[in-house]
This record gives sequence, structure tokens and C-alpha cells, in this order.
Amino acid sequence: MPDFRALVRARLGPLRLDPARAADIVDELAQHAADHFEELVAGGMPEADALAAALGPLNGSGRAAAEIARADRARRSAPAPPPSPRGVVVADVWRDARYAVRLLARAPGFAAAAVVTLALGIGANAAIFSIVNAVLLRPLPYADPSRLVVVGGRGVDNRAGNLGYLTFVDWRARSHAFDELALIRSWNPTLAGGEGPERIAAMRVSANFFALVGVAPVLGCDFRADEDTPAARRVVVLSDRLWQRRFHGDPQIVGRSIDLSDGAYVVVGVMPRRFPPLVSEHFYQAAELWAPVGYDAAQPFACRSCQHLKALGRLKRGVTIAAAERDLGDIQAALGREHPADYASESGVAVVPLADEIAGAVRAPLVVLMGAVVFVLVIACANVANLLLARLAARERDLALRAALGASAGRMIRQLLIESAILAASGAALGIGAAAALVPLVARLTPVPIPRLGDAHVDVAVLAFAAALTAATTIGFGLLPAIRATRFRPLAALAGGGRSSGAAPTAVARRLLIAADIAIAVALAAGAGLMIKSVGRLLGVDPGFDPDHVLTLQLSLIGPQYAKNETVVAKGDEMLARLRAIAGVDAAALAGQIPLGGNRDAWGFHVEGRRWTADDPSVERYSVTPDYFRAMRIPLRRGRLITDADRATTTFVMVVGDRTARALWPNEDPIGRRVRIGGTDGPWFTIVGIAGDVRHDALAEPPTLQMYTAQAQLTDSFLTVVLRTSGDPAAIAHEARQAIASAAADVPVYQIAPLGDLVQKSAGARRFLMVLLELFSGVAVLMTAVGVYGVVSYSVAERTREIGIRTALGASRVDVVRLVLGRGLALVAAGAAAGVALAALTTRFLQQSLYGVSATDAPTFAGVVTILFAVAAAAHLVPIARATRVDPIVALRQE
Amino acid sequence: MSADAELRKGSAETLVLALLEERDRHGYEIAKLIERRTDGALAFHVASLYPTLYRLERRGLIHGRWVERAGARRRRFYRLTADGRRTLEAQRRSWRAFFTALNRVARFRHA
Repeated sequence: MPDFRALVRARLGPLRLDPARAADIVDELAQHAADHFEELVAGGMPEADALAAALGPLNGSGRAAAEIARADRARRSAPAPPPSPRGVVVADVWRDARYAVRLLARAPGFAAAAVVTLALGIGANAAIFSIVNAVLLRPLPYADPSRLVVVGGRGVDNRAGNLGYLTFVDWRARSHAFDELALIRSWNPTLAGGEGPERIAAMRVSANFFALVGVAPVLGCDFRADEDTPAARRVVVLSDRLWQRRFHGDPQIVGRSIDLSDGAYVVVGVMPRRFPPLVSEHFYQAAELWAPVGYDAAQPFACRSCQHLKALGRLKRGVTIAAAERDLGDIQAALGREHPADYASESGVAVVPLADEIAGAVRAPLVVLMGAVVFVLVIACANVANLLLARLAARERDLALRAALGASAGRMIRQLLIESAILAASGAALGIGAAAALVPLVARLTPVPIPRLGDAHVDVAVLAFAAALTAATTIGFGLLPAIRATRFRPLAALAGGGRSSGAAPTAVARRLLIAADIAIAVALAAGAGLMIKSVGRLLGVDPGFDPDHVLTLQLSLIGPQYAKNETVVAKGDEMLARLRAIAGVDAAALAGQIPLGGNRDAWGFHVEGRRWTADDPSVERYSVTPDYFRAMRIPLRRGRLITDADRATTTFVMVVGDRTARALWPNEDPIGRRVRIGGTDGPWFTIVGIAGDVRHDALAEPPTLQMYTAQAQLTDSFLTVVLRTSGDPAAIAHEARQAIASAAADVPVYQIAPLGDLVQKSAGARRFLMVLLELFSGVAVLMTAVGVYGVVSYSVAERTREIGIRTALGASRVDVVRLVLGRGLALVAAGAAAGVALAALTTRFLQQSLYGVSATDAPTFAGVVTILFAVAAAAHLVPIARATRVDPIVALRQE
Repeated sequence: MSADAELRKGSAETLVLALLEERDRHGYEIAKLIERRTDGALAFHVASLYPTLYRLERRGLIHGRWVERAGARRRRFYRLTADGRRTLEAQRRSWRAFFTALNRVARFRHA
């Protein structure tokens, strides 16, 4: 007769009870096992088998010990109530819910894993949706915003471009598609007054602008049509912000005169606080001040080809975009015939919804991000479904018992769905909380201006969206386990140890879910990989100048005191002299604009001796002082640069960019040639040199046609100071500002930035998208790794017996590793293959944001698949270690 | 502890109390009786039965003591307490009401 006491004690492990009580329990269990053994042997079973059967339930279980100890220590508590006969559904649901909460509370690890996973999925979705809702979905905060459009000449990218004043006048007179057509142009006056000169972002508008958007001043009144003339246009409407900031909300402001750069203006109105300057912000800078355009046909800059104005329209009710475009197209065609010299031969028109125009550039990245977070949510759901299925396998017996006791399939599905719903709701609550905290942070950290991003917050729409997500996820991850649960064969499950039926199909479902996880993770990681490559390529682009150690400051020499070009040039030279005196400044220059500075200053370019047409190219112009090339380190290719000897009284000279030289003089030497720029009556400029091209609009855009003129000869008033420094450029910002103020106290200085920042900013939008995609794909890969780990561990646990037999039959550790890894990696391979296909389908939505890399870049895809394999293999390590430690004897006894 | 343990615990406890109502029994006997009387549909083994017994004892519904009889091994016998008897009655009423209600709706005849 075996020593059952010793056998039981060995299997039970420490009980953590008072020793006498523990001894009692061991005695009692040993007695039970001995009885069982004796009976089995008496029934004819071999002793070894009988022993295994009698002690089997205690095998491999600190669990039995823990349960026994817990039961023995248990405090008096209410006995579990049998189901109540009151069959009211609400009461049932309430009871199910309480029951589910109790169950989840007992499995805190499982509950926490599920809730955190769902919180990540739902939180990321709520956050991105908040942004999408604010930026893309919420209607513009103007009256009947769906009828607001931008109209203009059709640009290369089908957007509405600029137009000249006379063109606009004819459109307005002849078109029947619009209730209103309004003009806008940028304006940057300097406001004088108590707190020093300040450059104000402003906008010139036609008198009907505010009527067109449907917002009236809250104080005073709107512009009158008769104020929109050259003589009467000295009236302004203030933004609430400017009114508060500079005039302390003075209620008597209407009728007061304020001093702007070109004279006194009378304040006629103040706009309401809730009037976001989306139009000015999109096209220029967020305006704080508006004044009438006040053009008439006689002015030189009112000409048809003076395309510096933009036009907005309010469509008549019932008029479609296409109809309005046809209407304006016909008018434009007629104008082309009437004024053939003023319009390029291929001048179409474009009518673009204002909402699309404003959201345009960010729409594609936001849609990509929305897709990415939906992917994350799908992975989260798959993982939680996986957790639930694994838990279900452990719960089979309990469910079977419920079924045997009369629980219907519907009732059990309900119970499981309620459990899922509680998990999903907790995850959603946590996720929405996180999103509410994160959205303002994201809005603040965005390196690029995204229209209306500041309005993004978790609101009713977001909550509704999250609620819908929660419902969908509940069903998504809860239904499969619930349906599985009803398929048990109750008696079989009860009679067997609980590990018999149903395990295989559950395992198949779990493996499918993991394969889907891997596929999605591959697609997300591929997107992130492509963005990383794009940003790398972009920052690797040679901008044509050296942005390191360069500080830039902007200033404007405008107002009556700077009416004369000589004054501007002299004041500029004086400033440069003082700036050069600062220790650490190696070169100082002025330029009308700098690359990547967000300006455009393209002039029509007419070569002497060639026929002039309206189709002559536009060339980007930089009006610079001689040191500009040294400060920017733009190389001279041939000829000479602009020098101090080039003055207003000497021959006007020009340096052209490489591309300009090659495009306009493909087989000739441009040096010595003469051109006129802008109109046809200006001075001749003689080309003296050829410089390297620079990337002007963005790093991603190839160099434009470019030319340099001398600031002393063609003088600009809005200037950028460019300082090449030997040390950190930001360190001398204060000194530079003081030097400028000492030369001209009345000149506002703004937008002080190291040139390197502008370069970084040019990659900013892509970098932002890259960081978020990295984040989401990181989460996805992590979740997938956890999922793979779960499935593989589970399958190892399930196959302990098989592994034991194989080991007993002589399989080596290598064979065991191969067995586990082989099955696991086959799963990963299937998932990865599907992932590559999914990535190939989805990365094309990134197309617009990619640079220098194809949407199906093979090395990126290969890299991503390799990483996923490595991560999945790593997730196998622990289960493999467990499998190779399987003791065949123990494994065989388990059955 | 597994998930629907609450319900299982409830029914297991009722079964144990009912068996002890007839007379005092030891653990092995209880396990055998449950298995025999349910034709094997419900089976308790050493790791699942004793926690139930200890829990009931802790709650004062049953009382266990070691009994040594001549010619037999030392065994722990459990006896139903007055509290246990009352609880059993309450549970019987509850289950009966439940089955009646269930039967009224589902129209199955339970064994």
C-alpha cells in the first residue's frame, strides 16, 4: 500500500495554514485517495493506473492547494443564490451584469488585459475621430457653409488659383450662379500706438465679404459698398482678439481712428469672438483686421493679368459646383476671346467647395490615420476575443453545468455578451478619458497648422462614435466566444475533466484571429516604414543652401517714412552694418523672400528678342543684398554674383538659377542676355551670373525657376534678414533684434527662426504622420506579439501529452522546438502573407504623403515582415522553454 | 477559480447538504454517492469536493469530526448542523420555485 499521506503532501504543496490543520487536511485527502485507489484495484485496475487515477486530480496543482486553503479560511459569506424565478428581463440583465462584474473581479489579470487593450483601441479611435470631426466633418462655422466656394483660374492641381481685379469684375457682372462673389487679398499693415509698432496679419476684402460668409460685426457695422473704392477705403473692422489686445475691449472703439502704416483708418466694426478667420488663415495668416480692397479699373495693379487676388463665392440655392464651373468657364472663354493678350491660352476655371479647400492638404493624412486606428481597434478586438476564447476553454465545465441546469443558449449568449459589453464599456471609458486628455496635447504638438485643430475635443459626436465603436466591438469580440459556448456537449464536458470537447475548433478560431492580427500589424508597420523612409529621404534632400547656423528675422519697412526706395535701401544698409558688428555674425544679408519661408513672388519673365506671350514663364524672384549668397551658401555656377557696385544708377543686373538658365536657354549662354520682368514696360535686366537652384516651396518640391535681383535696384519693403553665425543662431536673436531697433525703432520684427527650423518644418507634416503611424504600428506589433504568445502557450499547454509521447519515443529537444516553432511560424507566415497583400492594397492611400519611395517599396515590406517574424519568434521563446521541459511521465499521467 | 463557479458552488453545496441530511458521511462516501445518484453526470474528485466541504464547515452548515472505529481506518465524518438544515430547506424552496418557473415556460420535465 503506497504512503498516500506523503504522496498527497508532495502533490499538494504548501497549504499556508496552521500546521495542525494542514496535517488534518492531508490526512483526510490521503484517506480519500486511499479509498479510491483500493476500490479501483478491487475492480481489477493495475496498481499503477489506479494510483495515477486516485492522485490525478491533485497533479500539477498548487491550484488545488490554494483552493482548499482558501475554502478552509473562507469567512462566512452569503451562499450563492440559485437563479431567481422572477423572469423580468431587466432584472435578469442586471443580475447577469453583477454576476459578470464578480467574475471579472476574480480574474483581475484577464480583466485588466482586456480593458487596457480595448482602451488603447477605442481611445486611439476617439482621439483621431475628435480631430477628423473637428477638421473634416464639422461644417464650417459660417451661414449655410455648403454653398461657400473658392473660385479662380484652374491651377495645375485643379485648385482655384488667383485672378486679376478686372477678371473678377467681369465674372461678377456676367455670372448667374452666385448670390455673392467676393475678393480677398493679403495685407500686412503695421499698427502704431502705445505698445510699439506691431505687424498685424490682416486681409483686404471686398465690401460684401462678411455678408458672403454670413457673419455680421458684433459692434458697429459691416463695410458699405461705397467704402470699397480707392478714395473711401480707409475703414477697418477689428477682430475680437485685436480689439481686446490693443484696445482693451474699448466699447467706444467704433468711430475712432487708428494709425496703420499707410495712414489713419477709422474703425467701423468689431467681429464677434466666435468668428474664426479660417479663410485668411488658410490662404495667408489668421487675420485680425479687415479693410476694403478698394480697387478701381484705372489702377495699374487692377489689370487682368495682375493675378494677386482670390475670390470666394456663395452659390445660389440649388446651383451645383459643376453648373457654376460651366457658367464661369463660358464667361472665361468669352473673356479670352475679348482680351487675347491678357489670358494664357489654356485658362480654365475652378470652383472648389470652401470646406474642401481648407481641409484639402490634411484630408488624405487624416483619412490614413483614421484607417490606421481602425486597424488598431480590429487588432484589439481580435486579441480580446482571443482572451475570451482562452477563458472559455477553461470555463467549459461551468457553462456545461449551466446548460444542464436549464440555461438556454440565448441566456448563455446574453451572459457572455454582457461580460463583453462590460469589458468594452470599461475600455471605452478609459480610452475616452485618455483621448480627452490627449487631443489638446496632439493639437499643441502638431508641427504644421491644421485648420480648426484647436476646436478638436471630445464632444457628443465623439461620444456617440465611441458608443457605436463599443457596441460594434462588443459584438465583434463577444459573439464568437458566445456562439462557441453554446455548442458544448454538456454531459461530455461534465464527465470528462473539462478538457475534452470543443478545444480544437476554439483553437482554430484563435489561430485565425492571430493570423488576422499579424496581417494588420504588417500593413500598419509597412505604412510606418514607408513614412520613415520618406522623411529620411526628404531630410536627405539637398535644399540648395546650407540651413545650419543661419538665423532669419522678418521685418517690413513700410509707411510714409519709407515711401522712397532710397530710404529703404539706406535703412537696410544701416541695419546690416549694425548686424555685422555683432560678435558671431559671419555674414548678414537682406532678401525679399527666402526659400521654405512660405512666400511666393513669381514674376512674368520676358526674354529680349523673343515674342512675348501671356504664356511666358513665371520665375521666382529674390531681391537680395550682395552677401545673401554667402549667408545662404548658395553656390555660383558661372559668371558673377550681385555686388555692392550694383546700385540704382548702374545697369540693372540679374543672377538666374540653374534651371532657369537651362529651361530658357537650352543651347545658348544666358550671360549677357537681357530680360524684362512683370509688365512689359519695366527696365531691362542684364543676366550676369548663374547660381545653384534652391528648393523654394518645400523640400519635396523640385526647384522652381528662380532669379535674383539687387535690392538696391528693385527694392522690396517686406524683408527677411539672413544672418550666418559661427555659433548657435538662436543665441544671437536678442542682440539682432536690438541692433535692428537701434537702426529703426519704428520697424516691427517678427517670425524669428533659425533657417534649420524652416527645413525641419518643411518635413513637419510628414514627420507628424510618421510619428503617429509609428505609435499605432508599435501598439499593433506589441498586441500581436502578446496574441502570438497567448496562442502558442495555449497550444503548448494543450499538447503537453503529445509532446510527452514524442519525447518518450525519443524526440530530442530540437525536435520539440521544431514542432512548436514550426506550427507557430506557419501561422505567422500565413498572417504575414495576408499582411503584405493588405499593405499593398492600403499603402496607396499614403501616396500623397510619400516622398522618394514607392507605396509598395519591396525593401520596406521585406523589412517589416522580417521584424514581425522576429517579434513572433521572440513570442515563442517562453512557450518553447516550457515545452522542452515537459516530463514525459508527468505528461502521460495527466490524461 | 473558474467562471461559473458561483452556480456550480451553489448546486454542489445543496447536493452535499442533502446527502448529509440522511446521515453523517465521510468525504469519499459523499463523492461516490453524488456520482452514483447522478449516473455520472456530476462528478467530484478530491480537489473539488474538499474545498466545498471546508467552506460549508466554515460557514457552520456542517460539522466534521474524526471518528475511529475498531477495525476501520480513522475517517472524518460530517454532520448537518441546525443552520445547515435551515439553509438546505431554503435552497430547496428556491430551486423548486426556479424549476417550476422554468418548466412553466420551457415545458420540459426534469428528472
